Amino acid sequence: MAQTGLWLRWSWRDLRRRWPVVTAIALVIALGTGTYAGLLSTSAWRTQSNDASFALLNTHDLRVALPSGSTTEEGRLAAVVASLEHAGDVAAARERLVVPTQIAGPGDLLVTGELVGTDTLPGAAVDGVHVTRGRALGAADDGAGAVVADESFADKNHLTVGSELTVSGGARLEVVGRGQSPEYFIVTGGQGGLPFLTQKGYGVLFASLHTVQRAAGADGQVNDLVLTLRPGADRARVAAELSRALEIAQPPLAADLTTRDDIDAYRVLYDDIDGDEQLWRIVALLVLVGAAFASMNLTTRVVEAQRREIGIGMALGVPTWRLAVRPLLFGAQIAVLGVLLGLGVGWAVSIPLRDVFVGMIPLPIWRTPLQADVFAQAAVLGLLLPFVAIAWPVWRALLVQPVEAIRVGHLAARGSGLAPLLSRLRVPGRGYRQIPVRNVLRTPRRTLLTAFGIASAITTLVTTVGLLDTFGATLDRAEAEMLHTAPDRVSVALDTFQPLDGDVVRTVEQLPEVGSLEAGLRIPAVADPDGEGVDLLVDVLPAGARWQPTLVDGQPDGGLLLAEEAAADLGVGVGDAVTVEHPQATATGLRTVRTTMVVAGLHPNPMRVFAYLDPAAADALGLAGTANVMSVTPAEGRSADDVRRALLEVPHVASAQTPQAAIDGMRTTLDEFVGILNVAALITLLLALLIAFNTTSIAVDERSREHATMLAFGLPVRTVLGMTAVETVIVGALGTLGGIGGGYLVLRWMSATTISDVLPEVGVTASLSATTVVGALLLGIATVGLAPLFTLRRMRRTDIPSALRVME
Amino acid sequence: MEGVAEPRPAVDARAGSEGTRIDLDGVCRYFQVGDTVVKALDDVNLHVDESAFVVALGASGSGKTTLLNLIGSLDAPTAGTVRLAGVELTTASRAERTRARRSTVSFIFQSFNLFPGLTALENVQFGADVAGRDAPETVARQVLESVGLGDRARHFAHQLSGGEQQRVAIARALATGNPILLADEPTGELDFHTGVQILELLRAQAEAGKTVIVVTHNREISRVADRVIELSSGRIVADHRPVGGPAAIADLHW
Repeated sequence: MAQTGLWLRWSWRDLRRRWPVVTAIALVIALGTGTYAGLLSTSAWRTQSNDASFALLNTHDLRVALPSGSTTEEGRLAAVVASLEHAGDVAAARERLVVPTQIAGPGDLLVTGELVGTDTLPGAAVDGVHVTRGRALGAADDGAGAVVADESFADKNHLTVGSELTVSGGARLEVVGRGQSPEYFIVTGGQGGLPFLTQKGYGVLFASLHTVQRAAGADGQVNDLVLTLRPGADRARVAAELSRALEIAQPPLAADLTTRDDIDAYRVLYDDIDGDEQLWRIVALLVLVGAAFASMNLTTRVVEAQRREIGIGMALGVPTWRLAVRPLLFGAQIAVLGVLLGLGVGWAVSIPLRDVFVGMIPLPIWRTPLQADVFAQAAVLGLLLPFVAIAWPVWRALLVQPVEAIRVGHLAARGSGLAPLLSRLRVPGRGYRQIPVRNVLRTPRRTLLTAFGIASAITTLVTTVGLLDTFGATLDRAEAEMLHTAPDRVSVALDTFQPLDGDVVRTVEQLPEVGSLEAGLRIPAVADPDGEGVDLLVDVLPAGARWQPTLVDGQPDGGLLLAEEAAADLGVGVGDAVTVEHPQATATGLRTVRTTMVVAGLHPNPMRVFAYLDPAAADALGLAGTANVMSVTPAEGRSADDVRRALLEVPHVASAQTPQAAIDGMRTTLDEFVGILNVAALITLLLALLIAFNTTSIAVDERSREHATMLAFGLPVRTVLGMTAVETVIVGALGTLGGIGGGYLVLRWMSATTISDVLPEVGVTASLSATTVVGALLLGIATVGLAPLFTLRRMRRTDIPSALRVME
Repeated sequence: MEGVAEPRPAVDARAGSEGTRIDLDGVCRYFQVGDTVVKALDDVNLHVDESAFVVALGASGSGKTTLLNLIGSLDAPTAGTVRLAGVELTTASRAERTRARRSTVSFIFQSFNLFPGLTALENVQFGADVAGRDAPETVARQVLESVGLGDRARHFAHQLSGGEQQRVAIARALATGNPILLADEPTGELDFHTGVQILELLRAQAEAGKTVIVVTHNREISRVADRVIELSSGRIVADHRPVGGPAAIADLHW
């Protein structure tokens, strides 16, 4: 091209003249691509961190666990392993005693948890403990009252080295260190039978095997063995041999054999990466789409502003492709700046995200390097977006007849489309005061473009903040259901099945802190095990229990009461039959059986796991006359905490928790989960502000000649400014309302698809809080309403003759 | 693909006698405004086949700007044919019309239409470059000197007076080297003295062998024309040469 230098100079002047717009559009794109890069980097971080953390502590390959409440002699499980044909494949094996307990400590600390006792023999540990503070356990601690407390539990309950703890049965233990172990990197519903636990409310204490044996009153007993295999060993072959050896063991060993993949923390930590990535990808795409749409909107306006110059070029016979050069150079400026800013935003976004993850998932090793491939993807998107955004308006501008393009006042109302119809509408006010409304009605395309720009930002914001609302509303529903009656009750879990008229029940009943007691059963089960496989916690409530589930359909007795979400997932309704896999008591112990049960009713708790059976329908369990849970009402003048402390001294009490504490646990769990959404919400808020302000600012620029005319006719600046504000507020309100509607629709779609995949155990219904709606309205309308104020200085200093000249 | 560097078409003024020829036959241009059809031009026949200073005279709304737009292929007629330098514009493709504009006509607008982001020199250089002339910057400097603005070369449009802007616009048109100049009310936004300067410039171009068509509502200007076409309500109502030949520009007053 003969005049490359001229075009580049021209473009540079465009940039200098329009740098605020260029920077703003680039920043919009940068927020989109940066958020995309930041959010999607987290998957790689988590995978790398998981791999490193599980490898560091020799996470077991196989685990043998005896049924809850049963034990065997120390050394017996190790002997079974030693007898295997390929025992040489076993690198290390450790016997353990893992028992549920309650833990009391400094201040008001009183939580449920586990004591994990492992031998302190020299050699490679299995499921080792990575000590973060204090010291590790050594041979000298064998049988002593020294424990290493789970780091997260200790941190959140302010336990320090030297803290004194008391566990169920009254044993006193001293914290000598804080640490992390693979099975407890995060605590999940699979441990202790409680569906939602947090590291704050669930304590794990690591001690020597003999220490735990003494604390649990189980001298010489173990109930668990973990082993690792040598590199290259055939895990399936060793597992098969071990399974066979356990089956033929005499006396019988009814043990569960599981692998590393069955570790709840392992499974959840890896599975969640995929599920979460799905959610983050949608959030990132939402931000990206919002940014893309907004940048398209903004560039359209910029190209429209150049349209007359394009027309002049046409009149001079400039080839079409060459007319496109200048706006494309404008796009290139945005692209380059957008990519540079995007890298910065991505890096900035990754900092709070890293903090959220490190706080949420306490792994011993966190690897959070810059994900070059994700950032490269984002950079490509950042480069392409401005060109895609600019292609359409340029194409439109080049298609018009030159005489149209060159026309003075091309940005003014046109007598086509909806404009003639809308201009007939009656509007309030008289004379020039009608101008703002008339402007909105006479230029429907421009009105819609501005409104869409604002709507895209508000949609993204409402969706992201709406996710927080949705989770909050879900918990509120759960809370309302669990606390609708008897909110003062304490749910007590026992570590074994106890006779209703046995010592444990009687002891609890006779505690002075206890007013009344209802003994029942809580059984883990799986509905439709060959199909949907919905995990359930089935509570058998005694007749006339103080708390009963609310019914949304069906009868309270005669079968299974399922959560609506569970019934929907299983595709069953009231009166339908469902196969349930559950433990059943036999003369020789518990065995797993399948029973066909009738769905008697549905309850509204959004937590899918909760299910209920009336005592008559519980015959299939074979546990008549026994209990493993109790609902305790405190005596007059006593609190739930009094009851919980009193229960600490009672053997076989595994946990004691108020329903409020359970709800708080769920809230904490979900709060941690939505921590990342808070980051995304903050970004979308910034994006919304930026888009709304820029869209309005450009709209005000387009009206500069009209404003100059008004000023020339003697209208004061405040009146012109007021009229501008009215016009932008109308458009802002339109855009905001559209954005709220759009956000709600996206939220509903996400609730029905992505969230139900990511959190299948929770029945989430899209919900927008009044605060979000009012906040979005205020943000959308106030931002665009205030935007003209930023033009006050410019308007005051308007050179009226210059502004009135035709040059645009 | 269109391009500035490709050879000029055979109908180029500099390549043959049809270079300045303009033929309009039965040309109509109607606009639909709401329920009303506005006949901006109605059955216009016009033939210009010589280098001359032609003035199209008419009141506002008579159709003179529409006529200029059609000659310059900025717009397409509703009916009839327009031929410019031998090229049938009515059936020409978009690219052919662009090429015709690039190689045959140059516009001078009432409102100047300079590119605000370019200096005076660059605006003129732009015209020379678009038309595919060699050494466009040199050409631009020469032309800018010839309109008396050599010392304002580095000024932007907003730093120039109206008369200076119009002279830059004329320089841009001249820099193309195209044989036909189309000027739409070139003195419309200028004072008398500046307007006279502009007319002198345009008149000089006609005397140098170009065809200059000026549309105006100012009857006084028609006194310096070689040929006057009068329009009213979209029709040519008179087509004549001033009696006694064109008057001297110095005799004009308005």
